[in-house]
Amino acid sequence: MKRFFEQGLKLIQAIWYSEETGCVLCGGNGAPICESCTRDHLHPELGRCLRCGKLIAREKTLCLDCQEGRGPKHLKRVIAWGHYSGYLKELILDAKFGANPMRIAKIGPPFADWAIHWLPPADGILAVPMHPARLAERGFNQAEVIVSQLHWELGLPIFQGVTRIKPTPPQVSLSRQERLINVKDAFVLQEPERFQGRSVWLVDDVTTTGTTLDAVAEVLLEGGVSTVYGLCLAAGIEKILVPEFV
Amino acid sequence: MYFFLTLNKNGDVGYFPAGEKDRLPPGICCLKRPLPLGLIQNAQDWTNKRKKGRFWGSGLKERQCDRVKSELCRLLNGQEWNVPKLSSQEDFVTSDCQLASSIDGRELMFQAFDELVLGRQLSWGELKILARELRCEAEIILAFAHLNVERNMAEWVPAVVPQGKGWQCQRCGERNIKEWPSYYGRAGTCLSCKTLGPSTSLEAFYRDHRPLLKGQENVNFYPHWPLTEAQNLASGQVLAFLNNSAQPKALLWAACGSGKTEVCFPSAARALEEGKSVLFAAPRQDVIHDVAPRLKRDFPGVPIQVLTGSVPIRYQRGNLVLATTHQVLRFWQAFDVIFLDEMDAFPYQGSEALEWGLTHALRPKGKLIYLTATPSLEALKEVRRGNMLLIRLPARHHRYPLPIPVVEKYRNPFDPKSNLLSLNKARFESIRQAGRILVFVPKISWIQPWVNCFRRYFPDWKIEGSYSSDKERFDKISDLRQGKFDLFVSTTILERGITLEGIQVVVLGAEHPIFDERALVQMAGRVGRTRENPSGTIVFMSCSNSTAMKTAIQWIKDQNRLALKQGLIDLRT
Repeated sequence: MKRFFEQGLKLIQAIWYSEETGCVLCGGNGAPICESCTRDHLHPELGRCLRCGKLIAREKTLCLDCQEGRGPKHLKRVIAWGHYSGYLKELILDAKFGANPMRIAKIGPPFADWAIHWLPPADGILAVPMHPARLAERGFNQAEVIVSQLHWELGLPIFQGVTRIKPTPPQVSLSRQERLINVKDAFVLQEPERFQGRSVWLVDDVTTTGTTLDAVAEVLLEGGVSTVYGLCLAAGIEKILVPEFV
Repeated sequence: MYFFLTLNKNGDVGYFPAGEKDRLPPGICCLKRPLPLGLIQNAQDWTNKRKKGRFWGSGLKERQCDRVKSELCRLLNGQEWNVPKLSSQEDFVTSDCQLASSIDGRELMFQAFDELVLGRQLSWGELKILARELRCEAEIILAFAHLNVERNMAEWVPAVVPQGKGWQCQRCGERNIKEWPSYYGRAGTCLSCKTLGPSTSLEAFYRDHRPLLKGQENVNFYPHWPLTEAQNLASGQVLAFLNNSAQPKALLWAACGSGKTEVCFPSAARALEEGKSVLFAAPRQDVIHDVAPRLKRDFPGVPIQVLTGSVPIRYQRGNLVLATTHQVLRFWQAFDVIFLDEMDAFPYQGSEALEWGLTHALRPKGKLIYLTATPSLEALKEVRRGNMLLIRLPARHHRYPLPIPVVEKYRNPFDPKSNLLSLNKARFESIRQAGRILVFVPKISWIQPWVNCFRRYFPDWKIEGSYSSDKERFDKISDLRQGKFDLFVSTTILERGITLEGIQVVVLGAEHPIFDERALVQMAGRVGRTRENPSGTIVFMSCSNSTAMKTAIQWIKDQNRLALKQGLIDLRT
């Protein structure tokens, strides 16, 4: 009986009060992203490196690495929503390693708004694929969760057909050179005829050097895709912008 | 963590942990694709149900096995998942490698593992940490764990299991589970206990069924201080409850500063001598770190496990365990006696997950004793219903009555927003003559304005304030303990667990709803705790007299009345 009344009370509360949502990153006041998280993690005052998506000074177009020709070569443009730090980093880690993919789902609306503002609409969106063994281990691909949110918000079709055939160790602990070797020949495109002349948003959770995005983009371009744009939740920041390095 | 589905010659479904290297189980037919334990257990139940009717008396065993394989594939392929279609010919394989015992040549390591996992409930991540502590490969620890499962001393359980239309976490009992579409179909993640590592329907726990101690043993118990008359009385009742009472739970309702923890030591010693395992739990780390040296002092040579979030060694030996209520979630039916200190403190109070964990850490027919100076309404209800035995410890060791708070009404509210922060200077000066003053305020935002106000009124006094998120909190509290401040302003962070010599207490805005009767009793309990200063002043400054204030004063008076009746305090004029 007590349980019945409790459930009834919850129902009445649900009807009576509108659900208050806080910032999707820190949970504080200000939906969907509060002012301090926007300032500290999304950095609207900074530009993005056109090649690798790294956060750079607004007046620049390329980061130092890409100016020296070390960045990705097969993508038309790469953009990253924010800096891989603080609450944004915590959200991505919690989603990936805390088996909590629904946290990524919450950032769908603001991320989709931002993405369509920065990138031209494409014929479809594609998630960077995971190796089947890793997918079986984690139970989900975080990039696919982001893609499904973009599809839900923007109505862009989801493309599938790229497979990861090489079980690669995580890129996080590797140098730039090791990353290049790591992802070499790691991806294959199935049924390339479906991609002929199409433009694609290629989506991943985090990019550092852009090596993984570049490896998938290369396969897509070889298969006949016209343009590949890279889109990520988070990226690194140009060292010169970090106070300790100035 | 995933498992290989195995199939023996009789067509019985079993499972074998896959680990990280996905090594197939040796010499046995298995599905080469590892699966979550929950899915395999469903398939196991399904085949067990069908086995009796379908295969009874029919044909060769090989043919039976083939039929089970194809039926299993049909069952698993019927799942709404993204796993590629399974085929009974290609996906069932038998590994050629020989079945070798996982402990051959590793007897000592297995023994060490075995001692450390007694009564534990551990995730794959925690088993990997154990492997690191034992300096061996995680796969070896996994093989050891599975060996215990095969010997029926432990089991593997899915971390989150379907329950009716929803799910339930097997670590904390939470039913509000976040559901998401996984590679293996519908999956659920428990967010309630995620600080202990992920708990999802795709994960599994190793659950050890053995008690911490195998038999009776001699226990060195040398109490540092003899118990007072009041403590002796309560201690006898606790002992009688552990030995004779049919009731599973007891509430030790003690006066603040009466030494309730020490009351439990003789009972703990007796339980240990009888070969029982004992847990001292508390919601907060500082209580555990406060009790640990006292236990080590009174139980010399007895191995004690001290488990809190800040203790780096996660796995220890010993059947006397001191742990925060969060760490208790890593045990399963391991303890015969549990003492829970400060049952009404955050985060235990109101947390169903921690309560569930504590109840499930108790062995069947085990005894649970709650210790508190301020019992919750639920606990008092349980006592009234006769479900819980009540033991009282109403007097402090120095035989002085508990100081009774004085209510002083003021016209102006104490909120700095609406008050010009004027105060009765003479009143504070008179309190200061009796001793240093601890001022409690209900909100963090009140602290700085009141510190400034006191500094303005008393420029010669050393005045400071602190709150939970204050970065200098620990330094300031350390100075406070050393008596460096004349007046210290604080929120409820200092309401319990601290003894300050000769302190006097003032509660500003005592009628504020944040101060319930428990908080007020605890704050009043800071006064008169030592033999040198057995009494003192407690002033509730407020605009009105709240129910909580009345109840708090009533509770303190009741303790004194009971103590007087039992002859545990002396009447003084």
